[in-house]
Amino acid sequence: MEIEIISFGKIAELVNLKNLNIDGIKDTDGLQKHLEAVFPKLKEIKYKLALNKQIIHANSPLTSGSVVAIMPPFSGG
Amino acid sequence: MEKLFHLLIMTEKKIKNIFVQGAISADFIADSIAKHSSKTEIGGHSIFLGQVRADEIDEKQVAAIDYTAYEELALAQMHQIREDVFSKYPLSCMHVHHSLGVVNAGEICLFVFTSSKHRKPAMDACDELVERIKAELPIWGKEIFADASHQWKENK
Repeated sequence: MEIEIISFGKIAELVNLKNLNIDGIKDTDGLQKHLEAVFPKLKEIKYKLALNKQIIHANSPLTSGSVVAIMPPFSGG
Repeated sequence: MEKLFHLLIMTEKKIKNIFVQGAISADFIADSIAKHSSKTEIGGHSIFLGQVRADEIDEKQVAAIDYTAYEELALAQMHQIREDVFSKYPLSCMHVHHSLGVVNAGEICLFVFTSSKHRKPAMDACDELVERIKAELPIWGKEIFADASHQWKENK
């Protein structure tokens, strides 16, 4: 199953993925573990995930075509 | 069908774009103020202007901030904030504009403008909007130094 990853701010300089095959990964907790294994620096950064344009606060199931955004702390204004 | 179409237009209209490319000019702000002269029920406006500060970090000075946003999510979040603030305060008007792209030190990057019959709701709503915009909108500022190096801004 393939999902889309978008990343922002300093995380965009670290995680340069667009489409990701996530066979064996079924939820955002699994994805987070996978990403932190591939990009160890991610563990040192505070970040939030958005799934299909909604910020998530708990583990959520992924489906084919899901869009996951990785967002460092906001700094607008 | 016609009813549905009408509903679509209404919903479409409600999601306002807050983003402007580059700095927000003094002319734009002046025009925005002038547009309210016909709304004579208004007795007080409150305006917040965010300006890019030339912070000094490790002996290097910030020359500009380059803003990026997760635009779709930011506009959806802003829509919710707008609804919340409108239902909390008796406002006549609310306008929010935020820059994207490069804004030089000394230029305006955020313009929040609220109006009401009396001053207090306008002032409180403006304050609340600024706090929520900074905390809740997925926008990122990259501080660019004079030597072209950069670091990512963090809100305090």
